[in-house]
Amino acid sequence: MPSVRELSALYENVMLSPRRGPSVCGTCFNFTDGYTRCYACDHGRLVLDAMAPISYSVAREQLHHALASYKRLDGDVARRLGASLAAILWRFLSEHERCLAQAAGTAGFELVTTVPSGDAIRDQRHPLPWIVGELAAPTRDRYQRLLRRSDATVEPRVFSPEKFVVTAPIEGRSVLLIDDTWTTGASAQSAAAALKAAGASATAAVVIGRHLNREWHENDRRIRGIARPFDWSRCALCAPPTVAEPTGPDPPGA
Amino acid sequence: MVALLRTGKRPWVEYAELVEEKRSAGSVLEEEFAGRAAPPYQTTLLDPPAPTPGELLTEARADLDRWSASGMNLVTVLEPDYPPNLRAVHDRPPMVFVAGRLTPGDARGVAVVGARKATPAGIERAGAVARHLVDSGFTVVSGLAAGIDTAAHTAALARGGRTVAVIGTGLARSYPAQNQALQRRIASECAVISQFWPDSPPSRRSFPMRNAVMSGITLATVVIEASDTSGARMQARLALAQGRPVFLLASLVERQPWARDYAGRPGTHVVRSAGEITTVVERLISPGSLVA
Repeated sequence: MPSVRELSALYENVMLSPRRGPSVCGTCFNFTDGYTRCYACDHGRLVLDAMAPISYSVAREQLHHALASYKRLDGDVARRLGASLAAILWRFLSEHERCLAQAAGTAGFELVTTVPSGDAIRDQRHPLPWIVGELAAPTRDRYQRLLRRSDATVEPRVFSPEKFVVTAPIEGRSVLLIDDTWTTGASAQSAAAALKAAGASATAAVVIGRHLNREWHENDRRIRGIARPFDWSRCALCAPPTVAEPTGPDPPGA
Repeated sequence: MVALLRTGKRPWVEYAELVEEKRSAGSVLEEEFAGRAAPPYQTTLLDPPAPTPGELLTEARADLDRWSASGMNLVTVLEPDYPPNLRAVHDRPPMVFVAGRLTPGDARGVAVVGARKATPAGIERAGAVARHLVDSGFTVVSGLAAGIDTAAHTAALARGGRTVAVIGTGLARSYPAQNQALQRRIASECAVISQFWPDSPPSRRSFPMRNAVMSGITLATVVIEASDTSGARMQARLALAQGRPVFLLASLVERQPWARDYAGRPGTHVVRSAGEITTVVERLISPGSLVA
């Protein structure tokens, strides 16, 4: 069977480390035009106690395609994509879950859950619970389906504490939320609001890809400035902030 | 899909994305034309008016019949027989043309690539790798170029195995011309694939695009012998950018500085025997759980 190290290594060439720094959103690590929060975080509700994206996911590039395809495809190809994403999550959490706990002000996370899909029918056969609840060793023993999509009509990409219903007692427990992609954060923040309302003591989120568009403002230049290959030893939360925006020639493999 | 691609308004990868999202090429085509009704006056002096979606569809149907009569079948990303591994890569084409027949087993494919001007030792190594792949139940995929590619295809056929060619021209052409007979044989016994219109000539841009598809349909790429300006090196880069493993022969790494640079990259394996390649590939694709 494949090792976490060799499967995750295959994606090191396409993963991009998020780092704190000037013009980086302090909540979700989106690139901004000099602001300390991006538009979505500044105009949305911030409920999560901490959030760490493992990598940036650039529209139409490989990680973005993997994050869309593992739930759209079936058969061996979907299974292999799922295994790669599980390896990425496993390796990240084994080294950096403590960074999230520290940022969220908790000793650790007693429960792990996934953000349900916005679409209740799609959620029934979503492979993320398989990745988090079965494949990834750091999460599988603590995994529970704690949330379900409510019947309330909520627009996609809009924060709503009514979007999800908590289905198990979680009073006083700390919860780690896992999702594949963060775009505006509305889903993860809505899930955190439901968990907090049900009495969760702390909530933090890990997402595999923080979505970016290369075409937006300076994003292309800033994405090209990210050091490669991917560095597992530091995460978005424990790495020192980037002092100035890196400039220079394209990195190899770009 | 043919009609949609002929509108030529966007890069092909974007069409692949849109068509997968909408699960229909027809509705993307309609949207491309929505709100763009032709103005009631002539807008240009000399150009004929742009074709309507109806005209594009009629023309596409006639072409499809003509192509399929010459043994060239179009497979779009919406169809179940689109190569499954290719679906999982970001730079997949919205459709490919297939001469011959792809089997479900071809999803267990490994690309064997290298220089056109190959040494006798390189030819021998390519043959040995291809024979071992056949014996281990893999399909040998290559690009039907002179040198290493020809050696890999020929050895696989001689061993009674499957071999698939992914070519840099349209299916109605052969490049180089001396491989026309081999191309015909692979099409009749296995499959030849092209992402280009059937009459497309070879071009500077078509070969790297072909390398992305060759890497995309396979589980891994093996580079036998290649200089730093070769398409094989390009394919190693594209494979890593697709999250696919790359195998470099130790003999290549000893001779080529570019290969030494690649040897240090994540996802790259330097191997001394063909057995090492299949051991790693089998392990990477084995179902079930992961180990730390």
